[in-house]
Amino acid sequence: MRTGIFMAAVLASMLLVSAAHAASDPDSAKLSKSTSDHTKFKALQQEFNSGPEVTKACLSCHTEASKQLHKTEHWKWEYRSPEGQLLGKKNVINNFCTSIRTNEAACNICHIGYGWKDDTFDFTSEVNVDCLVCHDTTGNYKKPAGLAGNVVTKAMEFPPGSGNIIKPIDLKKIAQAVGKTSRDTCGACHFYGGGGDGVKHGDMDSSLASPDQALDVHMDALGLNFACATCHMTEGHQVPGSRYAPTAQDKGDAHVRGKEYTSNPTTCQACHGQAPHKKIAKLNDHTDKVACQACHIPKFARGGVATKMSWDWSTGGKMGPDGKPLIKKDAKGHVIYTAAKGDFILGENVVPDYQWFNGKVGYTLFSDKVEKSDQPTRINHFEGSAGDGKSLIWPVKIMRGKQAFDPVNKRLAVVHTAGNDDTGYWTNFNWEKAVAVGMASIGAPFSGKVDFVTTESTWPITHMVAPAKDALRCHDCHASNGRLEKVPGIYIPGRASDHAGWLDTAGWALAALTLLGVLGHGLGRVIVSKRNK
Amino acid sequence: MTKKLSSLNVLSLCLLACSLVASAAHAADGDWKRGRVYYQKVCTECHTAKAGGPIAPNTRTMADWTKYLNTDKHAKGKEPLKMYVSREYRANIKATNKAAEKYADVPDEQLFNDVKTFMLKGAKDGDSPASCL
Ligand code: HEC
Repeated sequence: MRTGIFMAAVLASMLLVSAAHAASDPDSAKLSKSTSDHTKFKALQQEFNSGPEVTKACLSCHTEASKQLHKTEHWKWEYRSPEGQLLGKKNVINNFCTSIRTNEAACNICHIGYGWKDDTFDFTSEVNVDCLVCHDTTGNYKKPAGLAGNVVTKAMEFPPGSGNIIKPIDLKKIAQAVGKTSRDTCGACHFYGGGGDGVKHGDMDSSLASPDQALDVHMDALGLNFACATCHMTEGHQVPGSRYAPTAQDKGDAHVRGKEYTSNPTTCQACHGQAPHKKIAKLNDHTDKVACQACHIPKFARGGVATKMSWDWSTGGKMGPDGKPLIKKDAKGHVIYTAAKGDFILGENVVPDYQWFNGKVGYTLFSDKVEKSDQPTRINHFEGSAGDGKSLIWPVKIMRGKQAFDPVNKRLAVVHTAGNDDTGYWTNFNWEKAVAVGMASIGAPFSGKVDFVTTESTWPITHMVAPAKDALRCHDCHASNGRLEKVPGIYIPGRASDHAGWLDTAGWALAALTLLGVLGHGLGRVIVSKRNK
Repeated sequence: MTKKLSSLNVLSLCLLACSLVASAAHAADGDWKRGRVYYQKVCTECHTAKAGGPIAPNTRTMADWTKYLNTDKHAKGKEPLKMYVSREYRANIKATNKAAEKYADVPDEQLFNDVKTFMLKGAKDGDSPASCL
């Protein structure tokens, strides 16, 4: 009994100590920004064995959420452009991993759903919407490759027989900690587009999870600390600012609170308006021709993560001296060749290309004919010109590559890459088998022959906005061989291609004549005044 | 003398155990994002400039980090790691270090816990191994 009292005393003092600790802690009195503490909800106080179980719990309060999500490109992976092309990840082909078709179990870990492994996926299912991938705050939510976007709640070996054990995640803990989206949640997919960190975009990679001011003035973790949604202002889960529906030129004013807008909130102008340069007003004269990004993102891939600039699939399939698939690295340890994917060229601190862009993007799709004589094939291309009144000069990343195509049917190839089966290129390194499966999946003919074509794709550069002091200077463009040397249709003083020798000669001749005139006139005056004395 | 565990005794033990578990769980639940920023902007910055390159959390296991942080003999015992997270240290470097400036008033224990949370989470066998800093 005495021990009992002793134990009780110890316990009491421990409780007191922790209470005292809490009271002395000024932050514990800080106002919570959310009105709800998800640890207190009954629906979340249970062990979850799968993603859909969590979603079911979320839907028990957030009754309309899945219906909203079903309307998004994040869910559909399909988008009909104003020009009538059917786009979205389901339909486009690119010059990175090429296509999600037949590779769904691997690629679709970045779908905001559970279980999209083939054409049988139910796009009307509410519980298959993945709430956590966007609303996790713990940073511990994981969707391992190969499981079609499903999560692992009990340790499992994957692929079977590989000895690779996937650690389970604690869905209850993650569900109880949900919150707003963040750079980490959006970045979990968007930083890794193209199959790895920074691979695809060049202006988005993991360095933006916690960037400094030099990398991005808006997202600076110790400064403005913007989340993605600060610009991609979302209502009803419809995230604006998709690359499939770009705004090349925004002639509107800065958005004011309370006013209703239909225009894209992600443009620079939506906050900064039309005349953002207060100190050097001359700069405002550029905004009708030059996108803000052109000067304010002087280089991309600036955060220490390299981006892929070129990908040559045609060299894939080489084995090393040990008979295993070959891997090559550069001096910095970056992978520049793998048997599975071929050769890469990587870039850091890359100076963008510059192009006129009016917001329209044309794509070469599965069904389009491709001529080897007409290279490079433009996987996509930005439209626009100096004179159309809708275009600005934009910075872009041009991704170059060589990829498989069917030389007889003249179509870009859909390649079955991922998958532990006999036809997956990454397992068997056999193009003919892999393309046969890929083409069959879209109902396209395949001749049985595989050749390679050079391709190009274009990506807008719009993140990694540098501090004003690091923006381009006049001489970066107004000089011979400046940044805009190759941009057609516009007169840019100082640029070599706008340099007309005869105009210079004529100008200097006029100046010389003027000087001569002045001197002659002066001399005349002197002589006349002397004579008059 | 035979000791019998009275029901009060058992209850107390249970509660004690529970509160220990709760506080342990709480201890590991610091603000990992704040910890990440402090780690990058204070720890890594000094390591890169003076101490032969960054130290990625995923270079050690959770057990190793826990032992390291509990022993707290940073740089062969020259000064405790806690010192580099202290308010005093932050006040000293805040003119040139934005993280120290922004977090100038965060209580020492709390910030240390944030850094610890980030390191454990990012450990080799942690929930989210962190290599890049
Ligand atoms: C003022 C500079 C400085 C700061 C700030 C600093 N360190 Fe260090 N750190 C060092 C030096 C010097 C060493 C010793 C390097 C050696 O011996 O090679 C070191 C070593 C280490 C090591 C290797 C093991 C050891 O102790 O020798 C770890 C781990 C470490 N630091 C963690 C941290 C963490 C975590 C922080 C931030 C809370 C931090 N350091 C802040 C200078 C610093």
